[in-house]
Amino acid sequence: MADFLSQYSIQRWLEACPQGYLDGTVYGHDPDETEAEEVLTIDSLREASIAVTVQLIAGERCALAASSGLINCAPDDASKMFLATQTLDEARHVEIFTQRLMDLGIKKEDVNSTVADLANPNLVKFAEVLLEKVANKDFVAGVVGQNIVLEGMAFSVFELLQASSAGNPKFAKTLAGTIADERRHVGFGENRIGSLIQEHPEKRPEVEKMQAEMSYYMLATFTDMFSDAGQRMEEAKAIAAQRDENPLDGVSWHGADLMTATPDVMEAVLADTVLGEFKTRLGRIGIEYQSPKVPA
Amino acid sequence: MVGTGETGDTGDAWEPHLLDEDEFLREVQSFEFWFEAIEGYLGDRPNGYDPDLVEAELDDAERDQLVTILCNYPVGETAALEASSGLVRLAATNPSQIFMATQVADEARHVEVFRRRLEHLGVSDLDTTIASRANPELLEFKRTLLGFVDDGQWDLAVFAQNVLLETMEDTVFRFHQTTADPVTAQILEGVIADERRHLGFGENDLGRRLAGDPQRRAQLTEVRARLDPLVLRCFEATYRDLGLRPDEFPELGRSYLDAVERLGLGG
Repeated sequence: MADFLSQYSIQRWLEACPQGYLDGTVYGHDPDETEAEEVLTIDSLREASIAVTVQLIAGERCALAASSGLINCAPDDASKMFLATQTLDEARHVEIFTQRLMDLGIKKEDVNSTVADLANPNLVKFAEVLLEKVANKDFVAGVVGQNIVLEGMAFSVFELLQASSAGNPKFAKTLAGTIADERRHVGFGENRIGSLIQEHPEKRPEVEKMQAEMSYYMLATFTDMFSDAGQRMEEAKAIAAQRDENPLDGVSWHGADLMTATPDVMEAVLADTVLGEFKTRLGRIGIEYQSPKVPA
Repeated sequence: MVGTGETGDTGDAWEPHLLDEDEFLREVQSFEFWFEAIEGYLGDRPNGYDPDLVEAELDDAERDQLVTILCNYPVGETAALEASSGLVRLAATNPSQIFMATQVADEARHVEVFRRRLEHLGVSDLDTTIASRANPELLEFKRTLLGFVDDGQWDLAVFAQNVLLETMEDTVFRFHQTTADPVTAQILEGVIADERRHLGFGENDLGRRLAGDPQRRAQLTEVRARLDPLVLRCFEATYRDLGLRPDEFPELGRSYLDAVERLGLGG
């Protein structure tokens, strides 16, 4: 364990992240990059971008609260070191997505009210399930909820958004840095918690129940977010057709053609991808994946 | 990463103090600002010091004394790590939450560099050695500080951590830096630079909140008076570890007294 945890030191993090793949960026993107023009000028696309960005901020605020809250109940110094780097990663994510909200025209003084108004209620419940474990200083459940469930979801959502942002290099670049961060976080969760689950097998039922509950709220969030996406996706296609070029032409994500896929198809592909990842990763740490209830 | 300013450049013309108050806080309490700051003094110093720096020759007694002194530092830094991580959730504004997250990473780095220094000095069982040599006064201070955090008392916790603890560390580290071997001195230099930022945040945040709130000021003055003896005992214990006789102690806590005076907590 000591060797594995040494890979997550502050020094390694400094070299890999701020001195590495973030080098030369401002708020996660190249200094001269701006939002795609149509996102800024077409109301429906701008509103949709704001709604998506709000969900990212809500998720990252939860991750920031969880990772910082877990430091005090971490069983060893090396885990505290890693969680300290994760705390700052998540704070950075909050900052860059908040900046994006302002780049999309939300005034600084309206950021918090916009997030409160537009955060999906199911995503808020998803966060509450996790933060209850953190508040109870339950390290094992907290790390599984944070570094496998929440981060696993974020990883796939960010990948999908990045693939969908072929026409918006600024946002795609911002997401690339967060994806690199999330990959580290998921890796820590799998490695550290596997040994802790073996030491505390009595924790399994509680952790499995939490995973099912969080997965349910995650699926409900996906359903809500894709339910009114059809018109917007058609609008984006029409704009691309007028320009005689579609940046999504030939782009696919986990087998779905992003230029032709319907919202229902995209929702199903995203849900299957995330749940598949949960199953694989939970299996590696000795937790039995629980199929969640399907949202109505 | 590059500096942000308003336009993403780091040109000489950019001056954060010309920004309005909200914008200033958002700027200086950001990840970007933090990284710009630490990169200046840590960029070429992995683990806090220049790898080409030559170790001083220490005899057994000198090495043992240094180990004893250094054993106190991870205790104070771990207290700060645990307190600042708890304060992330208590922060009232997004910028102060981001700042506290940068402090979490700073404190974790301090724990890491001091522990590594101890390992390089030949300490094999770190946790046991630290537990056996650290001053009990520091552990008492840590309990008090974390109690404030657990009770959700932002003002008291920021005062205890970002004013009291940071001033204690700043004072002791500065003194130790003047007598330390080159490697330890360079590690301390980077840590001191971080502590100054934390202290600045504490004074700035509390100063704004105390202005026009005499009740809160009175409460903090009372807490300060209650903690003073403990703070002084911490100073004395550390100076003893540094090998000083009482008549050689530097003026105890001058910068601490200056800080509480600036906050109007002189009582």
